[in-house]
Parts: sequence; structure tokens; C-alpha cells
Amino acid sequence: MGGAVRNRNGWQRVVVEGAAILKGMAVTLRHLFRPPVTVQYPEERPRIAGRFKGRHWLTLYADGTERCVGCELCVIVCPSQAIYVKAAENTPDHRVSRGERYAEDFQINMLRCIFCGFCEEACPTGAIVLGRDFELADYRREALIYTKSMLQEPYPGASGRDPNREV
Amino acid sequence: MSTVTLTIDGRTVTVPKGTTVYHAARQLGIEIPVFCYHDRMPPLGACRMCFVQVEKMPRLQTSCTLEAQEGMVVWTESAEVVEARRAILEFLLINHPLDCPICDKGGECPLQDNTFKYGPGASRFVEPKRHFPKAIRLSPVLTLDRERCILCWRCTRFGEVVAGDHALKGHDRGYRTHIDTPPVTLERPSKFIGNTIAICPVGALTSAVYRFRARPWDNRPTPGVCTHCGVGCATWVDARGGEVVRVRAREKPEVNDIWLCDLGFFGYDYTNHPERLKVPYVREGGVLREATWDEALERVARALVRAAPRVGALGGERLTVEEAYLLGRLFRSLGSNHLDARADSRFAPSPRDWAWGAGPFEALDTAPGVFLVGCDLSEDYPVLWLRLKRALDRGAVGLAVAPKRLEVDGYLRCAVVHGYGGEADVLYAVARLVAERKGSVPGLLREVDVDASCRRAGVPREAVEYLAQCLVAAGPVLFAVGRLSWDGPEPERTLAAVQTLRAVSGGDLWLLRGKGNAVGAVLAGLAPDTLPGLVPLEDPGARERLRRLWGFEPPQAPGLGTPAMLEAAAAGELRVLYVAGADPARDFPDGSLWQRARAGLELLVVTELFWTETARQADVVLPALSSFERPGTVVNLEGRPQRIAPSRMGPPGARADGDILQLLGERLGRPVDYGSVEAVWEELRRAAPGLELDRPYPFNRPQPEVDVRPARPLEAEEGLVVVPASPLFRKGEMSARCRGLPDLAGSPVVGVHAQDAAALGLMDGAEVEVDVGATSARVRVAVTDAVLPGHLLVPVGFPEFPRARWAASGRLLRAHLRVLEPVGRESR
Ligand code: SF4
Ligand code: SF4
Ligand code: SF4
Ligand code: SF4
Ligand code: FES
Repeated sequence: MGGAVRNRNGWQRVVVEGAAILKGMAVTLRHLFRPPVTVQYPEERPRIAGRFKGRHWLTLYADGTERCVGCELCVIVCPSQAIYVKAAENTPDHRVSRGERYAEDFQINMLRCIFCGFCEEACPTGAIVLGRDFELADYRREALIYTKSMLQEPYPGASGRDPNREV
Repeated sequence: MSTVTLTIDGRTVTVPKGTTVYHAARQLGIEIPVFCYHDRMPPLGACRMCFVQVEKMPRLQTSCTLEAQEGMVVWTESAEVVEARRAILEFLLINHPLDCPICDKGGECPLQDNTFKYGPGASRFVEPKRHFPKAIRLSPVLTLDRERCILCWRCTRFGEVVAGDHALKGHDRGYRTHIDTPPVTLERPSKFIGNTIAICPVGALTSAVYRFRARPWDNRPTPGVCTHCGVGCATWVDARGGEVVRVRAREKPEVNDIWLCDLGFFGYDYTNHPERLKVPYVREGGVLREATWDEALERVARALVRAAPRVGALGGERLTVEEAYLLGRLFRSLGSNHLDARADSRFAPSPRDWAWGAGPFEALDTAPGVFLVGCDLSEDYPVLWLRLKRALDRGAVGLAVAPKRLEVDGYLRCAVVHGYGGEADVLYAVARLVAERKGSVPGLLREVDVDASCRRAGVPREAVEYLAQCLVAAGPVLFAVGRLSWDGPEPERTLAAVQTLRAVSGGDLWLLRGKGNAVGAVLAGLAPDTLPGLVPLEDPGARERLRRLWGFEPPQAPGLGTPAMLEAAAAGELRVLYVAGADPARDFPDGSLWQRARAGLELLVVTELFWTETARQADVVLPALSSFERPGTVVNLEGRPQRIAPSRMGPPGARADGDILQLLGERLGRPVDYGSVEAVWEELRRAAPGLELDRPYPFNRPQPEVDVRPARPLEAEEGLVVVPASPLFRKGEMSARCRGLPDLAGSPVVGVHAQDAAALGLMDGAEVEVDVGATSARVRVAVTDAVLPGHLLVPVGFPEFPRARWAASGRLLRAHLRVLEPVGRESR
């Protein structure tokens, strides 16, 4: 076949390559008469796909205890090393999560995160979920290191995860 | 040695007879998973994880217990083996909680790894699992989760085989089997429990100090050396985000093998402590106030220049050997030889004759026996005890004389407890009896009256005869003189007695004293009458060598040792004292001398980590770095230099002692720019021949000679004789700031003999007020046979017993008890 292309004479080339150009132009022409896909953000809200991965939430059980047990599996799986977790021990009068351990400190560097969702996949308790919020701009870099209080959902279920689900 | 040849997975291998199949496979690089087997302990065959198939044998065999035979054909990956491993793992996991996310072993767990590699992936066990209470604190440093235990028995066997302290035992039977401390509570906590944490193949035993502080992937490990005692165990220091979170043993067969003691395992949090000194302080108008480095150093430099050569330096335990060398060099450049690393001892013989230090620890592995003279090995140098235990198990003979019962007495062939200060009498008596047994008594020894000596020492003659009999049977044993003797009332006489005994029985001599880098500091030149390398001060060759290296010759006149330095300071003859990482105000045994010395000094400079007693009394306090924070070399008792790397940054504002000395040198107009620690080390190596990285130092011990010295007359005095014993777990400036350790130390308890207790009307656990010297403390009493009647066992290293304020009036220190509560409130 390659040999055939090289052996074409002038007229044959005009016909074959001209046809290819016309084919491309036809696509352009077709789209000229369709409605535009551009969204006038921020005046207009974009449509977000069902499995879109946006900013993270640390979710709660229905009784308000934290799902996260500070196991650091999300830390080790994260390909961009965006997560920092420091665990501590639950005590009878200071019970934060189920089990013995909870995350005393939890930070995600949103500038580093590539929103791959690995952390969500690795989490054994279903604590960390990637939500739908993508509006993660700020004026300072420090502001994009999300702390535990920013990451925690404000009330059980706020992130959309069923707080009655076990995992 | 006869060998056998066998085939494993189609490859042949020849191994010495008696090798197990597991080790033969390892030699071929074939990995067989194990749980219960640990190569520092004999095989047990409990877990069945190590199954292999052997042709012509009916069932699968445990390779850890199976001895390799000639012509054996072994398969480690046959279908049957693979299936069996899967079944074993499924079985082990039946009751396992699988709570890896909250388990501290996660990420470094052999059970996780083996399950991942050989396990079934899913379990058929759907019934409810067996439950135990979780996270039981077995000790201030040990957490047990019984649900996770796979009953491999490594931990219990460690206590039986390696440490000999039986700290953990199996309890109950079958389904309910679990690990716990023995039903009879141990007198004192185990000193080696950290090792069980290290060898537990699951997360059943975990460190209460490290608990939840990091995952293995958070940690940055750096090689370190433990400086809590003089053994110099090799460590890995795990740091996370500028905080030291864990210390682990680093394999070093010549020193600590794979073990550490609990002081090494858990004694690291002091370095992270918020009370660390962060800025220099200078005294102004009687009070210490914060100052800049410039100001503080200027003050020190000016005082040094003004007072030189009437200046001296103390300390060296906490320094690296390079820093000790720089300190010696700086003070010698000021014309002073007043240098001593042994700041906590009243007995400061010349290191030319009596340099602290031991021969290679490996000598224990072949010695016919060990004779501990006032050496509380398990308290002072715990990991050395593990090596001795191994030697005793091999058949070496253990002998001891000490003023108290040693914790390890049960393992020794003969241990004699004598009245305090009586070791020389016992040793002379033994020497005489040994000489008699050997058939020739040297003239001088004939002066020794065995019966009178025994009476003086408070020891029955039979005990001494048996000791002599054991010694003769054992041959040339290794004599290890320890701190109880060095601190005793007559250390010179004790050493003479040891020399006499060596002369009749033969055997090497170890002088076990000093922590951290203390031996290295003396080797580096921090001694009044020796130059680096223990060379005499007047040695022309060494002087010439140093002149070439330093550009000046060390001063001619011998300097003063610690006690003499303090006397000189008290008399106003020594003007400036530089204390580097020592706490003489607390540790020097004669506190009143220290007080007078302090008053007589124009300037006391202290480099420290914390507000120690000495720092509080100083005129200039310079914040220093800990051994976790700077590079360098640390020398252990053997004189073995080992490199350390910094594992964290120190507090901002603190500086390494080496840097402080260099800055001071600049201000004194004696700048020496080394550029790196390695450069200092290289110079030190040239200054002190014999000091080589990772090689024990070739100490020259004096030849044994018969040297009989007369005993001092006994004094009749009221009160109980104080036997100061220094337990491993104390409440010192550093250990008090480590999580877990103060709880291991507990409150101090004094020990009295049952006879005295009866006379005083005391029961075990009674509360008393103890007056020693000028001090008085309220403590509990343990009725014990650890000391002879008429004695009081007093633990030092606790704030209740400030040894520095026990002024000894006579030969022996006396204590007076006042009973506050004759019966213990809670029976122990
Ligand atoms: S989404 Fe991916 S990159 Fe972002 S934090 Fe999770 S694992 Fe890391
Ligand atoms: S979010 Fe999930 S994976 Fe991350 S530490 Fe918490 S429990 Fe572990
Ligand atoms: S606690 Fe650990 S070392 Fe001890 S038997 Fe259980 S699994 Fe083995
Ligand atoms: S034996 Fe000594 S050097 Fe070794 S870990 Fe214990 S305190 Fe440290
Ligand atoms: S390792 Fe062989 S039976 Fe446990």
C-alpha cells in the first residue's frame, strides 16, 4: 500500500488527497449548523457527569462519628503525595471514630491532587469521597491546602454519601 | 565438619550436618514463609507455615524443624505445599480481627505479607469471631491485642531463651489461649520487652509509645547509636516530619546482635521535648536571662582568655568523639590540661592505668566464664547481659560478688552478696583459696586471713570456698568490674584485689563504667594526664605528632581530674569551668564539694539540652543538640567508634557542641576550620592511633600482680549502710522526658533485709522517711534478701535521692529510717 502511495502520479494524488480535504470540510460544515457546546461559565452552570471527581469530603456516620480511622492508606496510594494524615488514639471520653484510632490531622494539598480518586478507592471505611465541586480557586497557595475542618462534611450525608451505609 | 547434600526444588545444595531444611533453602535463595521460627532461637514447629514436601516422607514436613539429610529431595512450591500454606493462613485468620487499618503493624506485618503472597484471598469462615478486650496495656510501654495474636510463641520464648526474664507467658488452653504477664507479678518490669514487639510477627504486641504516631512509609530511617549506656547498640532512628517517632535495633552481631534494651527502644522522646533549651542564657545581676549567641560566646571567650590557663572542662558522655577531641584541643591551646570526661565519679585514676572500657564484646562468646565484680550487668549494660546469657547457656561459668543480689543471680553458678565495701575482702579471700587449691600461695597472699576477710565482708566462709572452687574449675574467666565497685568506698583496693585474683587465676579484665561516649571522650583526650589515644602526657612521640597536627604542643604540666578540679575551683585556683553535657551538680557524688567549687568559680559554662541542676547554677548556658540531631562518631565501651547520622533538626537556636567549640575557637583567635565532621575524625585518627571505625580499641590492661592492701578499720556507727544501686529505669533529665519511661521507673522503693524490717517493725510496702546525709525522702519499703542485714538498698537517679547531697562523713554512708506507716496500704 505504502508503495502504491509513493508510485501515484500527479493526477491520482489530486483526486485522493482532495477527497480527504473535502471530507474534513464536511464535518466542519455540519457543526456550523449545530448549537454551541461552550458554556458561559460562571453565568451559566456546566453540566457535570455522574462520575465526575471533584473536591474531597471526609464523611460521617449518621451518629456523627467520623468514618476515617487515620489508617493512612489514602496517603500511601496517592500518586501525587497530596495527603497528610496524623493519627491519634480514641479515648472513652474523647471518641472521634469507631475503633481505636482516628485522624487527628488530615490535610489534602489541592494543588497537588490530580483527582484520580485512588484515595477513595483505597479507603477501607469509605471515609474519603471525591465530591462534585470543582471550583477550587484561591488567591493564596496556602489556602489550597485543605485542612480537616474544611474537608469534613458539615453534617452526616452532606457530601451525598449515605450516612447509614456501613462502608 | 561433615556435610550433607540434598536437592531442593531441583537444585542441589551442600550444608553442614545438622542444618535445617529451612536454612538449606535459604542458602539457595529459596524463600519459605515462617511465623514461629526466628533464627535467634531454636526452632519450635508451632505455626506450620513452613511446610515443604519431602519425597519418601508420608506427610508435609515443617522445614524449620526438619534436619537436612543426605540425598533428601525437597519441594517448596509443589501443589500440595501451596495448598497447605493457603489452608494454614485461612486457619490463622479465622479468629484474626483483620483490623489492619487501625493496627500499628500495618505496612510491615509478616501476616499481611504472607497472606498477600500465599493466602487464599477469601475465607470460608462466616461465623462470629472470637473476641478479647482490645488494646490491653501490659506495661507503660507495651500494648497487647490478643485477637491479633497467632500464638507463635516468639515473645514467650524470647523471655525464656534470650532475655531470661520470663516477662510474658501463655495462659489458658485451646481456643482461649492467650499471652499475658506471668501470674506472679514480676518484681520489676522487663528490660527487654521492646524486642518482643520487634519480633512479634503480627500486631499483637505493639509499642505504647509509638502507638499511632506514624506508618512505616512516613518514616525516614537513619542509622544511629544508642547513647543511654556504654554498650553502644546500633539503631535505626525513624523520624517523621522532624520528630523522632521510633527507635529500632539495627543488626550488628558484634555489639547488640539484633536486640536493644527498653531504654534504647523507648528513650527517644526527650529529643522532641518542648522544654529543650532554645536560646543561650547569661547570668546578669544574679539571674539568668536570654542572650544572643554573640553575647554569650563573647562572655565565655573573654573569661577564658582572662583566666587561661586556669580553666578546665568536664564532660563528654553526651558529645561525639569528634566534639570531645575539639574540646580537648581547645583547652590545651589555652595551656590547660584540666580535662576530664568522668564527671560523675570521685574515683578518677589515671586512664593510663585504669581506662574505662572493655575488650571486644565477642570475647564473651568464647570465654570460659565471667566474674562480675560489683557489676550489675542487667541494670547498667543490659544488652551485654543478653550476650552473657548466651555464653552461660553455652556452658560458660557465671560468678559474681556484689553488695546486692543481682537480678540475674539465678543464672550464675555462684554469686556472693557481701556487706557494702567488702568486695576486696571477698576477692582477697578467693585469691588465697584459689592459690591454695593450685598448690602455691605467693608470699604476699599469705597475709590474707580468709576467715577474718569473710567476717569483715559479712559472708560465710563456705560461700567464698565455693566461689573459689568454681573459679578454679572454670579457668581464666573474664573479670568485669562494674559501677557498684567503682562507686564503692575503696575502689583502689578493689582493683588491687582483682589484680591479685587475676594473678593467681588468670583472665582478662574489663572496666565497665561510663555511658554514651564516655570511653570515647577519654580516648579522644579528655583526661588530665593522657593525650588522645591514652598516650602519657609526656610521651615525646605523641607530643611531636600533636604539634604537627595542631601547630602547638600540649601543655607540659599534668592537669587535674574531676575531684581535684573541683577542689581547685573551691580554692579559687581554677577560674572557669566548661561543662559539656554533664550534670556534676547532680551526679558528682560529693555535693558539698561541688557547691564550694561553684562558689569559687568566676564563670561556669554549661552546654545542655535541658535545665539541669548544673545549668541552673551556671553563668552561661548554651543550648546544644542531642545525639539524634548531629552527625559524628560515638565510641562505646569496647572503644568501638560507630557513625551516627542526624535524624532530625534540633530546635532552632540550639547548636551542636562541635559548632560551639569552633565558634569559640574563632573568638579566642585560634580558628580551626575543619569543614566537615569527617575531617575532624581523620585528624583524630592520626592523633590517636588505634582508633578505627567499627573496630574495638586495643586497650592495654595492666599486667596482673599480687597486690595485697590492708583493709581500713571498720567503724561502728548507727544506722543502715546505704547500698546505692542505679537501676536501668531512672528519672534522669532525659528519661523523665520520654513517654513511658517514668512509669517504668515508678516511684523509688528502698530495700531492707527481713531481719532489719522485723527489728524496725516494718512490713513489705510500709512507708518510711529515709534520712541520708542532708537529704530526707518519703518512700516505700520492700522487704528483700537482696542486701545483707544492716544495709539499705537505695535506688539512685530519682529526684527523691539526690546523690550529690549525700555527704559521706565516714567510709560508709548511713541511712536512718523513720517509720510512717508500718503496714503497706495496698499489699503488693
Ligand atoms: S484523588 Fe488521587 S491525587 Fe488526589 S488526593 Fe486522592 S489519590 Fe491523591
Ligand atoms: S480517609 Fe480512609 S484511607 Fe484515608 S486515613 Fe481515613 S480511613 Fe484511612
Ligand atoms: S503476641 Fe505475637 S509474638 Fe507473642 S505469641 Fe502472639 S503473635 Fe507470637
Ligand atoms: S543496652 Fe545500652 S546502648 Fe543498648 S539499647 Fe540499652 S541503653 Fe542503649
Ligand atoms: S515456622 Fe516452622 S512451624 Fe512455624
